Amino acid sequence: MSQFTQQVILGLLLGGVYVAVGLGFSLVWGILNIVNLAHGALVIVGSYLTWVLFTRVHLDPFLTLPLDAVALFLIGYALQRGVINRVIRAPLLFTFLLTFGINLVIVSLLLLIFTPDFRSVLPSYSGSGLQLGSIAIPYIRLGGLAVAIVLAGILWLILNRTRVGAAILAVGADRDAAQLVGVDLRHMYALTFAIGAAFAGVAGGIISTSQSISPTAGDPYTLQAFVVVILGGLGRVSATVAGGLAFGLIEVLGQSAPGLGSGFSNAIAFVVLVVVLVVRPRGLLGRLA
Amino acid sequence: MRRGKLSLALAGFAVTLAACGSSTGATTTTGSTIVFGAAVSLTGTQSKEGALTKQGYDLWLDWIKARGGIVVNNVKHPIEIKYEDDQSNANLSATLVQKLITDEKANFILGPYGSTATASDAIVAERNGIPMVEANGAAESIFTKGYKFTFGVLSPAKKYLTGVLDMAATLNPKPTTIALLTARDAFSIEVSQGVKDYAPTLGMQVVFSKEYPAAAPDLSSLVTQAVAANPDILLNSGHYAEAVAINNAAKQFHLNAKIAAYSVGPSTPDFINNLHADANYVYDGSQWTPQVKYTPSFYLSVADYVKAYKAKFSTSDDPDYHVAESTAACLAFQKALENAGSLDPAKVRDALASLDVMTFFGQVKFDTRGLNTFKPMVVEQIQNGTHYTVFPASVANGRPQYPTPPWSSR
Repeated sequence: MSQFTQQVILGLLLGGVYVAVGLGFSLVWGILNIVNLAHGALVIVGSYLTWVLFTRVHLDPFLTLPLDAVALFLIGYALQRGVINRVIRAPLLFTFLLTFGINLVIVSLLLLIFTPDFRSVLPSYSGSGLQLGSIAIPYIRLGGLAVAIVLAGILWLILNRTRVGAAILAVGADRDAAQLVGVDLRHMYALTFAIGAAFAGVAGGIISTSQSISPTAGDPYTLQAFVVVILGGLGRVSATVAGGLAFGLIEVLGQSAPGLGSGFSNAIAFVVLVVVLVVRPRGLLGRLA
Repeated sequence: MRRGKLSLALAGFAVTLAACGSSTGATTTTGSTIVFGAAVSLTGTQSKEGALTKQGYDLWLDWIKARGGIVVNNVKHPIEIKYEDDQSNANLSATLVQKLITDEKANFILGPYGSTATASDAIVAERNGIPMVEANGAAESIFTKGYKFTFGVLSPAKKYLTGVLDMAATLNPKPTTIALLTARDAFSIEVSQGVKDYAPTLGMQVVFSKEYPAAAPDLSSLVTQAVAANPDILLNSGHYAEAVAINNAAKQFHLNAKIAAYSVGPSTPDFINNLHADANYVYDGSQWTPQVKYTPSFYLSVADYVKAYKAKFSTSDDPDYHVAESTAACLAFQKALENAGSLDPAKVRDALASLDVMTFFGQVKFDTRGLNTFKPMVVEQIQNGTHYTVFPASVANGRPQYPTPPWSSR
């Protein structure tokens, strides 16, 4: 029983990472209709920023998260305004190709700067945690989950309680109408993408504390973000939270089923994905289009 | 009178030689150039390992060139190695080996990097009746197909972690339970099978065994499951990235095994640079370490080999075992050619089959399948950020730090 509890807790902790990774991806997809294939690469840029600040400046990894957010916000704004905006109204395939290319460029730059070697962020408390009987909850993973929940809260507040958020949602609902009522489209596009990138950066910071990173480590996160958004549903913060936590749970419980190694976890996750697409195409909590 | 007859015969022989044409050379000291062909990965995903393989071959080439070549039946033959780049593509590797044999007139083949490429090259070597000595394909499946012309100088995959078990059996209190995490690829599965077959013979028991897809970034679920089995020994048969992921998860979820050993990863300097103090106490099985104490019957001593490596490649790093085993493949050819007294591929093949020499890399001797099952794997442990060879005791330069202290007191 305690073994089962441990796995459920682990699933939620992992799910927190998926929530963090999924938030920015979901925002950019929902509002800009861009499936950002460079999302994982932006996540890893955040991981490397945390690593640099931790090893060079000896900053606590959780204190580096706001800096990751600011840096990725600026990178995201520039990327969208300078590059992606040029194809924003082109068919989906063009943005696919463009973000795929951006992904390659970022990964190659990381390879040049940081080499392919693996890096770890190991603060002094990386081995400590709550011990409840035989159940272990590492502080860093708990911190990661907490940050993910806070991120979700911040995004919800931005979208539902600020003028900028209202403008972003308006752009997502109808670009032309938003423009008619005075929304600066180019700025809003860039701002949305920048917020998405900032969230990716924070997610990367969290990831670097529990896993080793390398320049190519981002690709699986793009895929996972995609699954999380499909699973939860597009267009709502709460849907991404539900999708992320559900994906974490499915993955971990799939691995701990008797007789199954983690080889089946991806298979199980994607079977669930297909079932959701068939039975409930708008996702667990998604809005009807 | 006898002397007169002999000189007459020699003179006749010389005339015959001259009549055969000048290309064979008039002297009896320098013979034709022996060409070795090698298709190694100089580009692509395995370019790093391919480069190490080439380093090992080139290191021997320099040495043998400085001596003028290999002496076969009192004739000194200069040596040349012709390289092709297989771009880390096993299928291309086989095509290139055929090209080396037909176009480049390679007399013998030195192996590529990796079990997959070695397996496809072995087919070509067999079909052409050209001996291949390989140093970087440890999968036993290469040698179960009845090939007669392929020989591997390295210990087979099944032995990668059994050395750790041999060492564990000598420790007090003796660890008895094993948790085994295996990447799902041919090589790693063979390594794990070796553990499962061997553990019971030492009175040990595999209490937890699960597989995962290669390059899985987070293995905390499997690690927490292993915690519940409370194993004395944690073994990973996989790759560098997963060794790191398992070590991280073991720390976070307090998997306090008395021994933690990973098949691939800990032997690289990068493992220590990445994990710092967390890398301490970790064991790995290695084909060779610069600390081993073998007494070779020819070529360089271990210390001189390390020195030669650092000088040739202007580096302060020690040669990795991939380099050493690649050099050992050249040494096997050298000795077999000397023993065969002929360049005839079939005779050299027979000489390889009956070879038994001690080199700086360890004993090189092949079983009937062409596998070197006679050289032991050595066990390394990271102690205070440095690699120490801790088993077998006869070649070790350190003692195992056992048991590994729990994470909470490290």
